[in-house]
This record gives sequence, structure tokens and C-alpha cells, in this order.
Amino acid sequence: MNAIIQSLITQVREVNRKYAKPEIEMTRVVKFCLLSLRIYLLLLVALMVVKFIMVAKG
Amino acid sequence: MQAGQTVMERSKGPPDSGMNPLARFFFGFRRSSKAMRIFLAIAGPGIIVMVADNDAGGITTYTATGAQYGMHLLWFLILLGPVAYYVQEMTVRLGAVTKRGHAEAIFSAFGRFWGWFSLLDLVMTDWLTMITEYIGMTAAMSIFHFPPILTVVLVWIVMGSMIVSGRYWTWEKITLVFCVINCIYVPAAFMVHPSVKDVLYGAFIPHLPPGGFTNVLFFMLMANIGTTIAPWMLFFQQSSVVDKGLKEKDIKFGKVDTAMGAFLTVLVAVVLIIVCGALLYGQPINSAAQAAIAIMPTSRFIGTTFAIGLFDAGLLGAVCISLASSWAFGEVFGWAHSLNHKIKEAPWFYAYYFFDLLLAGTVVLIPRAPLVLITLFVQVIATTLLPAALVFLIILLNDKKTMGKYVNTRWENIANITIVVTVIVTSTMYGVSTIFPKLFGS
Repeated sequence: MNAIIQSLITQVREVNRKYAKPEIEMTRVVKFCLLSLRIYLLLLVALMVVKFIMVAKG
Repeated sequence: MQAGQTVMERSKGPPDSGMNPLARFFFGFRRSSKAMRIFLAIAGPGIIVMVADNDAGGITTYTATGAQYGMHLLWFLILLGPVAYYVQEMTVRLGAVTKRGHAEAIFSAFGRFWGWFSLLDLVMTDWLTMITEYIGMTAAMSIFHFPPILTVVLVWIVMGSMIVSGRYWTWEKITLVFCVINCIYVPAAFMVHPSVKDVLYGAFIPHLPPGGFTNVLFFMLMANIGTTIAPWMLFFQQSSVVDKGLKEKDIKFGKVDTAMGAFLTVLVAVVLIIVCGALLYGQPINSAAQAAIAIMPTSRFIGTTFAIGLFDAGLLGAVCISLASSWAFGEVFGWAHSLNHKIKEAPWFYAYYFFDLLLAGTVVLIPRAPLVLITLFVQVIATTLLPAALVFLIILLNDKKTMGKYVNTRWENIANITIVVTVIVTSTMYGVSTIFPKLFGS
């Protein structure tokens, strides 16, 4: 089991190393889209956290 | 044959000028039949992904739409056909040109943060959606008094058998048979003898149903949009195109394949609405299984086809969704990840497939498992992945360095960006309304 986990960790590190640098040209449009996506996701996650708190409080 | 003419040039036939009509017809027929043979060889990914889009959740949505609004929303479902086509067609081009699946394309283009986000979100969404497919399949088979455990084991056997041949073609042909079964609803639409006037009016005259634009209607429209474009579809079709080995010269056939799939998905949606609109209008129907039971007293045959169609829809969805995740993992981690590999040649690819299959099925068998909560949660989780997957798709299709001459044209960008923005807005509102049901009064 330890060997499998170690192997997976190695593979994950390899993936991170392989894809460390984005290949797409970071034009202003691309940067704007990616920034908008990050804000969108943050808002969604915040909504889910709020809902979770509301449900937990009953 | 003219001097200096190559064999290829000769096989195309002599030039049309001076040819008699019979010869012209013969060479035209030969060209067309050759094109048809090429198309039949290439067709598959588009038809499969689109028909599988009418999964257990989709069938339930259309059933509820027909029961609640009769034929009044047929026009809306017909409009969703081109929406699905334009989105999925982009994955055909991207897969054929880059020879990469969508997960790998995101990792390469946007780096590890967005890559891991997309991959892990896909895995979570797919696994939860698999559970909803099992819910649909067990509900369908329970109508025939099959206990859930028997249904789940049967599904495991069928889904396992489909992929162990070690040939993509074998898997594809079997799946296409299930796609044909998915059209089992079509005869039912004629058997219920719907009002032709109502069907034509509902299909071709955009209008609001009686009661006008209400929050409930808005929620239903969002649900229909949400069921038409699912994140797994983007990953599945692109990976399938790559696994099948489609080349750039095959893109035009891939587009026709996708268009045919879009037609079939709309056809099934329309006939479901017609059947439920004719037989169940005004009744509170919340699931396809409930609809099948409600129809049985009126027509045992139609009720039975409903149940069989629901099982088939769940099975198709499960097959495609589990493969979408397996392919994505294989692409990113560099494992052998083709259906053309046998189990020994691609152990991790198949291990993930079976793990996903078994785990999702097991959840459904747990007594008092929160299956309704899981069904709702899927809508929310899909909302986090779909916008990102669509935005990445648009950006990649506009990258001239990657796509070359297959980059999006201006008109394709206008259509695709309009569709993507609309889908993102509506799916977000749908997800948010699931989290906060009272927000839109639904």
C-alpha cells in the first residue's frame, strides 16, 4: 500500500512538473477570462459555505 | 485514361464536361457511396455523446416538462439542438487537431492549477452523476420487480463486458446498439395520438405556456438547458475522437456525426414531451419512473417502453461518464488509456473505470443513502465545472497556434460565445437556486 501511495505521489509530482508552465499565450482576453473564472468560483464556493452554515445552524 | 494521369486522378472519374447523364450519375453515385462509407466508419462519438446526454436525469427533466407544460415548450427543446451541436462540434475539432483529450488540453494550455481543478471536479461530478444513473436504472427495473441489487450487478456485468474486448470499435458498436434502443420512445409518440395542431404549434411557434412567465417555468427552462450541456460531454467526445483516431481530414464527417447526434437527442426529448403532454398533462410528475407507473393503466406497452428507455438511458449515461473520467486520468498521468488496449496493457485505465463503476453502484445499495441529496448536489457541482470547461474550450478554439486553419471563424465565435455565456448564466442560476430554493421562488 505504501508503495502504491509513493508511486502516486511521484506521478503527481511528475504531472506538476510537466505542466508547470501554461502553453497558451496569455493575452489580455485570456487573462481577463481566467480572472473572471477565479472570481466566479470564489463566489460559488462562498455561497456553498453560507448554505452549509445555514443548514448546520438549523 | 489520359497520358500522365495518376491512378488517384483516374479513380475520381473523368471531368463532367462531355459526360453523358448515365455516366455522370454513375460517378456521382460512386463518390456519394464512398463518402457514405467513410462517414459510417467515422460516425460514433457524436451520436453516442448526444444520445447519452438523454441520461436518467435528462429523461426525468423532459418527463416533468411534458407533464407540467404539455406541448408548449417543444419549441424550446428544438432550439437546444443547435446549442448542443455548436458546443460539441468544438470538441471534435480540438480533439482531431491536437490529438489530446480535453483534460490534457487544459493542463497543457492553462497549467497545473486549472488542470487539477478541472480533473478533480470532473471526477467528483462524474461519480455523483453515475450515482444518479444507477438511481434511474434501479427505479426503472423495480417496475418489473427487479430488486436493486440484481439491477446493479447486471449493470456491472454489462458495462464490464463492453470494454474488455480491447477494441474501441467493438465498444462503439455495442454502445450504438444501446443508442438505437434509446429511440424506443419514438413509436409511443404516435401511439398516444397527440393533437397534431398542438404539436405543430408547440414545436414551431415560440410562446409562453398558459400562466405566463413564472418562477417555476424559469426553473424548468434552466433545468432543460442544464441537462442539454453537461461537463462530461465535452471531455467524453474529445477523448473519444482521439481514441478513435480521427484526423483533421475527418473533421467534416465528425461534424455530421455530431449534427446527427443533436438531431437524435432533440427527437427523443420531443417525443417524451409529446407522450407525457398527451397522457400526463397536469399531473405532478417528478421522475421518469413515476411517469412510467402512471402511464401503465392507460397503456401497458407505453409504460413498459418508458421503463426500458429509462434503464437504457441510465446505462448509456453510466458508460460514457465512467469512460470520460478514465480517459481524463489516463491522458493526464500518461497511462495507457485507450479502449484499443487490453486490460493488461492499460491496467490503471481499466482499474479506474471499474472502481468508478463499483463504487457508484454500491452507494445506491446502501440503506437510507441520501440519494435525493446526491441528485441535488450534482446540479450544484456541475455548476462549478461547466463554465470553466466551456471558457477553456472557447479560448483553445481561438488559439491559432494550436488550431491552425481550424481556428474559430468570426461567425463561429459569435454563435459559440453567445451560447457559452447563456449556458453559464442559466446553469449558474440553476445551481444557485438549488442551493437557495426560495431565491427564485421555485
